[in-house]
Amino acid sequence: MTMLPQRGPEARKMGLVIDLDTCVGCHACAVNCKEWNTGGEAGILPDYDQYGEKPDGVWFNRIHSYETEADGCSRTVNFPRSCLHCENPLCVTVCPTGASFKRAEDGIVLVDADLCIGCKLCSWACPYGAREFDEHSGVMRKCTLCIDRIYNESLPEVEREPACVATCPAKARHFGDLADPDSNVSKLVAERGGTDLLPELGYRPTNKYLPPRRAQIQTAPREASGATGQGIGGALLRLLDKALSR
Amino acid sequence: MKPAASVLLLTTLTGFAYGLLTWLGLYVAVGAPPAARLLVLAGVGVGVILATLGLIASMLHLGRKERAWRAFSQWRSSWLSREGVAAVLTYPIALAFAWAEYRAPGSSAARSLGVVVALASLGTVYCTAMIYASLKPIRQWHNRHTAPDYLIYALFSGATLFALLHTLAFGTAALAASLAALGALCALIAKLAYWRHVDAQSPIATLASAIGLPKDTPARPLDAPHFTENFILREMGFQIARRHAAKLRRIALVVGFSLPLIFSLLARLGTFPLASSALAVACAALGLLTERWLFFAQATHVSALYYGRTI
Repeated sequence: MTMLPQRGPEARKMGLVIDLDTCVGCHACAVNCKEWNTGGEAGILPDYDQYGEKPDGVWFNRIHSYETEADGCSRTVNFPRSCLHCENPLCVTVCPTGASFKRAEDGIVLVDADLCIGCKLCSWACPYGAREFDEHSGVMRKCTLCIDRIYNESLPEVEREPACVATCPAKARHFGDLADPDSNVSKLVAERGGTDLLPELGYRPTNKYLPPRRAQIQTAPREASGATGQGIGGALLRLLDKALSR
Repeated sequence: MKPAASVLLLTTLTGFAYGLLTWLGLYVAVGAPPAARLLVLAGVGVGVILATLGLIASMLHLGRKERAWRAFSQWRSSWLSREGVAAVLTYPIALAFAWAEYRAPGSSAARSLGVVVALASLGTVYCTAMIYASLKPIRQWHNRHTAPDYLIYALFSGATLFALLHTLAFGTAALAASLAALGALCALIAKLAYWRHVDAQSPIATLASAIGLPKDTPARPLDAPHFTENFILREMGFQIARRHAAKLRRIALVVGFSLPLIFSLLARLGTFPLASSALAVACAALGLLTERWLFFAQATHVSALYYGRTI
């Protein structure tokens, strides 16, 4: 059913909090996601031309790196991008078959691969580029929040978290109930000023991103090239600089 | 957005089909002469065939075609589902209309069914347009031009076809050609207004807001997540050179709207009415396919921001 479920304020909102301050951009989360989800109940996550010139494939998680600015200096922001399990997911309501749905009990957005006709409209409706089409089975695929791990009673309790969270070596990824103000994730969001992606589009994402911290020391601006100085010493330095620059 | 042949054919063919069905319905509703019975029957046949071809074309891009029937189920939330339901409902209505006109031309049943067939046809076109107009991440589609524009292009292209059929039946295009000329003029103005609107729009988001930073923070890509194209870039990152776009816009304006306007006026004035109205249809088809290709190719998607594209 692609109508959104009626969810009261107390309904659980399971999701991720991703710390852009500590993410080192190592792609381990993407790799472990691929590893877990290619062997799960939903079948393989296909790759195409994997040993050829244009390797390609379906991934639920993509790691970008950006250069931004803070306090007059440039800074690197590593940015993992995956489904945000929005409260207002247009990808669900545009689905003509009912394959896309949002779970009433925990807010997880899923695709029922047995109902999907592969029209790709949901991928057009997602501003985050979170859905990728599976050319082999002809259906849309997306992050499941590792629903086959988080409720999996055959796993030890400590392992009942998404594969991306379990593997993160920088502990930049956190999993929990964002509707519960006392959960670890909610506390992190409150302490660190967690933000929504693209808030202006009104999708109300569940996942939050913790912004990079402000540097507490002033980074000196990059030195101007070439030696500067007055008098004979300056002239010598300039000569030396010229000679060494050849 | 990638201009896939299947959706270009779907929207153009169904535009002609439902536009024609609308005019035929209204023609009978306002009192078509009994001699027009064959024209109406043939016209409904042409409309139904074109609509069917368009709907078949749209199914070609589905990953799982055998499940297409499932698309009729979610009409409460999905415009794509509503389009499917409206298209299927239009079939029996069009056939009942043709049957009523065949049994008793100009009867009150035929006339009221004419109004219903026009409403159902326009409703289907409206649903198609709303599939695009409802997509928030694409500013060139999510605006108040998209839905009226699709209706105008359908009425325009349907009128050129109506004029051609009228000429085939009676030797003159008469009022139908005036409708086509008027439609071409409206379509021309609508397209110019649309381009003016989308060219003046500012991007709906920035890369900084897409990664959760204050939206005016300078940001640019440093390392890409992958080094070859993926589904997102193929589907949502389609790019067209600006000078090619400008040339194609001129082609759409001349071939799609100006030439059909001239040929329809010639047909109305009785200058080679058959050749003129046939050329109006051919030009409208080519021009509208070009216009539709641009509607996709020039549409930008917010997710392309993550790859450093301008939207």
